[in-house]
Amino acid sequence: MERDDKQFSGGRKYRNNEITVYWKPSACVHASYCYRELIEVFDPSRRPWVDMDGASTDRIIETVNMCPTEALSWKWNDEKKNLEVDKDQLNHINFRRRELMEQVDEVSDEKPVTVKIMADGPILIKGDFSLTYNGNRKEVHESMISLCRCGTSFHLPFCDGQHRKTGFNG
Amino acid sequence: MDNTGKQGLTVNLLYMGKKEETKLQANIEVTDFGPIKITGNFLFRDMKRGTEDVKGEVYLCGCGKSGNQPYCDDSHKNK
Repeated sequence: MERDDKQFSGGRKYRNNEITVYWKPSACVHASYCYRELIEVFDPSRRPWVDMDGASTDRIIETVNMCPTEALSWKWNDEKKNLEVDKDQLNHINFRRRELMEQVDEVSDEKPVTVKIMADGPILIKGDFSLTYNGNRKEVHESMISLCRCGTSFHLPFCDGQHRKTGFNG
Repeated sequence: MDNTGKQGLTVNLLYMGKKEETKLQANIEVTDFGPIKITGNFLFRDMKRGTEDVKGEVYLCGCGKSGNQPYCDDSHKNK
């Protein structure tokens, strides 16, 4: 149930006259693409943190499409236009879940794990791997995790976004 | 403190696939504030420095203090 036009189940939404951006905080891994790419719109130190008047619709769509998880997604306010959206619009709400599944499907036997060092942020690790933390080992299949690189996370070994507050440079 | 077997490691998964029989390609070992050791079959992309390589083994900085980011340079040993 939507409580008002700024909320949806699991998060908040932000509109301009063309599109709506959906923000699902539980899915955020602090990869930091959004505010590095478009601080005029996505500024975590501001409330509300999304200002839909900060940039053109094209720039907002481009930036939302970079989000590696479901945390940010978007759709046209004109529902007719949503029917014509192509798959290259990765974070369009029509493709969001499917896109994640496609990434998962790519992982087959012998497919290398991808290890991505985010600028001044966490390590994103995707694929099939084991994780051993302080002697505890767990096998992870076809999944993605985000590990802390700055040493200040309250949820080690995972990233919790502290790198932004501490100004981690690495 | 080694508590293997007493409590399982809870992994914060961002998304999870269906299959569980897939072969593990890499191993990641982390200790609090120590380096993050990654071995096996993995593609290594550094978004800040714009590099992409296949490496068999890396020791990454997990304490934030390394002078050679993203790699460990043993700075975590300096108190």
